[in-house]
Amino acid sequence: MNFDLTEEQQLLEDSVARFVADHYALDKRIKLANGKLGFSAEHWQTFAELGWLAVPFDEADGGIGGGPVETMVVMEQFGRGLILEPYLATVILGGGVLRRTLEGERRAELLGRLIEGKLQLAFAHSEEQARWDLEDVVSSARQDGDGWVLNGAKPVVYNGGNADLLIVSARSSGGQMDSDGISLFLVDPKASGVEIQAYPTVDGLRAAEIKMTDVKVDGDALLGAAGKAWPIIEAVADEAVLALCAEALGGLEVLYKDTVQYTQERQQFGHPMTDFQTVSHRLVEMFMEYEQCKSLLYRATMEYAQNGHEAARTLSACKHLIGTAGKFIGETAVQLHGGMGVTEELRLGHFFKRQLVIESQFGNADFHLEKFAA
Amino acid sequence: MDIELSADDLKFRDDVREFFKAHDYKPGQDYAQWRLDWFKAAREQGGWDVPKWPKEFGGPGWSPTQHYIWEQETARANLPWDMPFGVGMVAPIIMNYGNAEQQERFLPDIRARTVNWCQGYSEPGAGSDLASLKTKAELSADGKHYVVNGSKIWTTMAHIADWIFCLTRTDASGKKQEGITFLLFPMKQDGIEVKPIITLGGSHSVNTVHFTDVKVPVENRIGEEGKGWTYAKGLLAHERTGLAGVSRSLVALEKLKYQAGTVKRGNGSLLDDPSFRSKLAKLEVDLQALEFTELRSLARAASGQQPGPESSILKLKGTEIQQRIAHLTMEAAGPHMAPWGGIHVGPKFASGGTQSYLGSRAFTIYGGASEVQKDIIAKNVLGIRTQGGSN
Repeated sequence: MNFDLTEEQQLLEDSVARFVADHYALDKRIKLANGKLGFSAEHWQTFAELGWLAVPFDEADGGIGGGPVETMVVMEQFGRGLILEPYLATVILGGGVLRRTLEGERRAELLGRLIEGKLQLAFAHSEEQARWDLEDVVSSARQDGDGWVLNGAKPVVYNGGNADLLIVSARSSGGQMDSDGISLFLVDPKASGVEIQAYPTVDGLRAAEIKMTDVKVDGDALLGAAGKAWPIIEAVADEAVLALCAEALGGLEVLYKDTVQYTQERQQFGHPMTDFQTVSHRLVEMFMEYEQCKSLLYRATMEYAQNGHEAARTLSACKHLIGTAGKFIGETAVQLHGGMGVTEELRLGHFFKRQLVIESQFGNADFHLEKFAA
Repeated sequence: MDIELSADDLKFRDDVREFFKAHDYKPGQDYAQWRLDWFKAAREQGGWDVPKWPKEFGGPGWSPTQHYIWEQETARANLPWDMPFGVGMVAPIIMNYGNAEQQERFLPDIRARTVNWCQGYSEPGAGSDLASLKTKAELSADGKHYVVNGSKIWTTMAHIADWIFCLTRTDASGKKQEGITFLLFPMKQDGIEVKPIITLGGSHSVNTVHFTDVKVPVENRIGEEGKGWTYAKGLLAHERTGLAGVSRSLVALEKLKYQAGTVKRGNGSLLDDPSFRSKLAKLEVDLQALEFTELRSLARAASGQQPGPESSILKLKGTEIQQRIAHLTMEAAGPHMAPWGGIHVGPKFASGGTQSYLGSRAFTIYGGASEVQKDIIAKNVLGIRTQGGSN
């Protein structure tokens, strides 16, 4: 039994932590979030140079062959910095699909570009009526000679406005709720019939509504076998859940620790606020919830590293706990900061908003509790 | 026990509905003019523009039941924009503690909604512990005016207010509750600087306000020097009872149910989702109870008794329920809770839902944070002697 990081993992954590400390003070983040791109292209190149974009890819693909633990290490530190760069969209989701489907020259080319920081991706899968049910797909793919014609709509696609390529799911056969019959396609966002409405999100990130009207793609746009995308979708969704939970955990640490510090410094009624038991006990509860989340994240990450999708139930447990703890810790942090908690001036408000959005991605607490209980 | 409305009460309810219908805003109308006209018309109804003012100051003299009916009906109607600081907050203090001259000078404009007020209470170092405020008011050598220096924070609408009612310190030698003086002065003058504070929802309604040598004539002082805390405390109690918002929550919950029905989930709607439904149901149960807690409190007031213990929980429970409704509305939007910055995509209520949830976090902070409220209930209602504590 050992919960320590290996030397390499520790080095990775240290390097991401150093980057966050150097580049992600609140004022710098706000400036980036309000810029045209919504993140820093320069930072993205730094990620490439430091090998962070290569983390989950095999050495044969030019990657570093990292597993779920390495991703967790990176995402947790990103969470502590409230990083804006679209690592989840491009590396975890987009890269996750490409490394499971591409072959030969195209594999080498696209994964090479991704790892070098020259390729931005977005994963356009979930649909409005589906909420978080991954198999509920009504967008359609119709075979047309050697190619395909795509129709449908994909809401809230993170990085959708900045992506060089979109990975889009559509149903090539089967009924609305069938896991069988879903296909994945690589789509040029500039292709005729693709309509992209990009916008900022409440946590400072960027997303887009994507509409496809009779979009014609070539036969080689199909990723993997027609109608057989389900295991791939399931796998990248599992990895996204783990990545989001790790990111959330990093944020929760900041939220509870900032609150511990603030309430010790803030004086009311001639005492530091922590002299009042109603305050100190709630700080302890925040800390307890945080530690429980950390334990379940370790459990889910290690089980997934060992058993892949068989660990799905533990992943759901983790996302559920992160969701409920995120609400509790976030709301309590705001409350104990009093008026300062509801402003944009302290970083905690920004961390709180990120927790809320993580809760809306890949299934909220209720959704995962239901999955866990099923 | 009896919960039927009397024939007179039913008639009153119909009159209120009729009034709201007759004076509703019509698209294309000049809003500012409509607003002033609305209050004028409400005044002609016999003080409906100032429902809570006592009869001798032009209020309607309603029974508690009539107030309750009014609350219920206003929650559903489209009323003109109004801030609580004038009619609801400074006016009762001027009526109770101001002199006849001050009443004549300030009340008519407050009532007509032609002058906007803001409240200068909280300071960077004095939030829940309001009595520790430090903004200094020094009487000039000739005794004609005070000179005010210091800072206020969380001052809602300070950037559009014409006047401020302000707690200042005129004496720091005794107990902190003593030596506080209640002053009124115009906001648009030299020495007053207003800086916006942007809140979580990205909007600007609160501010910091800095005073540098602001001269306030002594005739703008309410009551006696050093007694301001007593005057303000009476108002705080008033503010606390106004915040349960039961009628508004009932309407919000109805709206949420409707909205959830428009959110697709698979082939059905979000209302088919068992965990969402059970959260809705739990909210409704709590709100049904709170509605009657409010009615019990009203009934007691109707029979002329002091507010009972039940009235002390109205703000705590009311704000908690408002926050839960806002949270569930945000949750109903699913992934569409995120789009921001004036973008309207996904369900119609989505962006507003997230905005109100973020805004709702302040409900348990302003007007006496929940922690302080509980201290007060522990002491005043349960009779518990606590250590340290808030007052």
